[in-house]
Amino acid sequence: MTTAEVTGPVYLDALGPRGPYRTRVPSAVTDVSGAEVARLSLVPPVYVGRALGALRKAEAVPAAGLDALLAAAGEEFATGTVGGLGVREYEHLVSRTSGTPLTVVRAATRGTARFVSLARSSAEQGRPRGAVSDRRDPVLEAGHAVWARRGNVFAVNASGNHPGVHRLWLEALALGYRVAVRPSRREPFTPHRLVGALHRAGVREDQLMLLPTDHRTADTLIRGADRAVVYGGDEVVARYAHDPHVLPQGPGRTKILITADTDWQEHLDTIVGSVADEGGTACVNATAVFVEGDPAPLAEAVAARLSRLPALPPEDARAVLPVCPLDRARALGSYLRSVATGTRAWLGGEGLVDDLGDGSAALRPAVHQVVRSSAPQLRTELPFPCVWVAPWNRADGIAPLRDTLVLSALTRDDALLDALLAEPTIANVYVGDHPTYWMAPGVPHDSYLSDFLMRSKAVAGAP
Amino acid sequence: MTYESPTVLDAGPSDGVDPDEFVRAAMRWHFDPATGSRYWLDRADRLAFDPRRDVKGVDDLMLFPDLTDELRDVPVADLIPRGYGGGARLLNVFDSGGTTGAPKRVVQLDDWMRHSTEQVDQRLREHGLPVGAQWLTVAPTGPHLVGDVLQRAAGSLGGPGLSIDMDPRWVKKLVAAGRSNEVESYTDHLVEQCRRILLTQEIGVLAATTPLLERFAREDDLLERINGSVEAIIWGGTHMDPDTRHLLGTEVFPDVPLIGMYGNTMMLTALLERVGLSAAEPCVFDPVSPYVFLSVVDPDTGERAEVGERGQVIVSHVSKSMLIPNNAERDTALRMRPAGGQAGDAVADVAPVPTVQGETVIEGVY
Repeated sequence: MTTAEVTGPVYLDALGPRGPYRTRVPSAVTDVSGAEVARLSLVPPVYVGRALGALRKAEAVPAAGLDALLAAAGEEFATGTVGGLGVREYEHLVSRTSGTPLTVVRAATRGTARFVSLARSSAEQGRPRGAVSDRRDPVLEAGHAVWARRGNVFAVNASGNHPGVHRLWLEALALGYRVAVRPSRREPFTPHRLVGALHRAGVREDQLMLLPTDHRTADTLIRGADRAVVYGGDEVVARYAHDPHVLPQGPGRTKILITADTDWQEHLDTIVGSVADEGGTACVNATAVFVEGDPAPLAEAVAARLSRLPALPPEDARAVLPVCPLDRARALGSYLRSVATGTRAWLGGEGLVDDLGDGSAALRPAVHQVVRSSAPQLRTELPFPCVWVAPWNRADGIAPLRDTLVLSALTRDDALLDALLAEPTIANVYVGDHPTYWMAPGVPHDSYLSDFLMRSKAVAGAP
Repeated sequence: MTYESPTVLDAGPSDGVDPDEFVRAAMRWHFDPATGSRYWLDRADRLAFDPRRDVKGVDDLMLFPDLTDELRDVPVADLIPRGYGGGARLLNVFDSGGTTGAPKRVVQLDDWMRHSTEQVDQRLREHGLPVGAQWLTVAPTGPHLVGDVLQRAAGSLGGPGLSIDMDPRWVKKLVAAGRSNEVESYTDHLVEQCRRILLTQEIGVLAATTPLLERFAREDDLLERINGSVEAIIWGGTHMDPDTRHLLGTEVFPDVPLIGMYGNTMMLTALLERVGLSAAEPCVFDPVSPYVFLSVVDPDTGERAEVGERGQVIVSHVSKSMLIPNNAERDTALRMRPAGGQAGDAVADVAPVPTVQGETVIEGVY
């Protein structure tokens, strides 16, 4: 089949309590070349306030029939025509605006559909074994706990780096929260489609909304919700670090550790894939690789593999690298150059911008070797395949491995694994030949979302 | 001794004087060593033209450079034209909001206050505002012009005014520092004060800033009360985007006329929304002849924008008491034709100048 091109502007309306809402002058959504491809209605604060009021008054999506509803929504998302867009048109637009390779977008469509259909059971995985979901559960007679929401309205200030980020908030909906999604202005298509699919499957307009806003109004949304997840950089994380109502999702700083007892050459596919699959734009892509011993051969091998990746427009079926507007690519390039001072460039030292000639550029991979495991560069996470390779030894200990979303450990050292699991700032530990981006429904991403959304309430003497 | 001013310069807003003639009279007054202010006389030599000879009408006001930055530190006594002699009645010194650094200062003399209040009063009566109804104004007072304009308008319409004060500079500071919790607490504090008044007093006219009206939209008891008994809402002091205006007019306050007010300190008065516009039409503000002239220009070239196009708002204030020509505001607006063949432009859908953001790199993938 040929690529699906859309003619004429696509309108992405807000999806509010009274259905679609279009502003007087919708904001342009541009693709990686700067061409306008859609018009997104950014709602003003007064609209957000009214929408939050309606969410607060709405009932939770009933648990009865929820699995069937979610399955239907997943199917609709993956195959239906939603908001006037067929799935191929949708995927083309996501690819052109976010710069994510089309094959990555397509795989994400199928993956998201699966996550949608399993959202209820995934959310259930986080329920403490002492708590029941329903107070009518007979086990309560003995005096137990009921799993209860900490609030009613959940907001997500989403990012546009990967369509998969929208899998998370489905669990909030499944847990009975009424949900407002603020889409990324760069890639609003995925949440628009997902919210539309869920509406069509039976979720009411006052239970789930899409509220696109400008940056300032986003704060009105986050503050007005009982619980919110906010994606962003270190600044966002710092801003909400002490706000118990907000769960910030910051840089992943995902890492791979290879100890001397393991031959990295047997795992080169996994290492390269962890860096560059998914376009290298996910928080679960590896930012740093630590090698016990000389890191140079590994850096050289990873660089050799990544140097072969072709620079293509994102909608090309063979594309694997992320694409962005040329000026942003140049800004990223000069930023990387300044950060990389004092390191050894195995790949990307001569620049990473591959001009595609239409105002966009592919971001070529970068592989740098740092001198020691405490090098500051190891914290620099950038939205393309960009990896720092460092030497590591036992004397360095756990310290360089801290502050990590996914740590893949290629090791046979049990004591070390125990230490990694015990480290509070490492969110997930994958052992052996698992790429860092591996995820599955029901497996926590940054702990169970329900740890943030739910509590256990003692109930005694309930009928 | 008081200098005998040409009567044209004493004209009220209803006297229908020719604006070009008024401007010429103002040039003679402000640049005559016997009558001009120290501020303008000190600057006359620095001008590349002779205002008394070269400014022949409203259009020639654009010869002036924008000197308003100097109003940040000029002694206010220097602003009062000498021609008033000892008879100058200084009522207020107003500060600009201070978003672009230290505030700029202007003076309000008694004669100007009467002209300003008269034109606001006239426009509000054209909007059908009730006479003698009780007002609640929720707007900054003290050094801020907007609260003064509203309270004098209430008085002029025979309405006893209740008011809630606010400190916009503190709020701006909190916003800039990212202290949104405190912004929220302060807004709650204002809403609580308004609630006590709205629920216990018979309020016929509510005048408030846009953020406050947006905030009222979340308070069911206040909405019921306002929609039930308030006869008009005046909004001003800040911008209101067209979507918000439409939502407030049709969904939040469907039963109350919403009247926009656009003013700023350098204008020394406020412009009222043109009468008869629906919530779906652009909110048009006409100039106030012969005192306040507007033009909408391309911010880069200074060329006049086309009618219907957006550009930067340039404001000139010309009165016997003050001359503030060619002041580039931090506002953009659509250029419109003014009603009644008035000089210069009218403006619509006034919005803040967008902040320019360079391409910066924030680490992380989001």
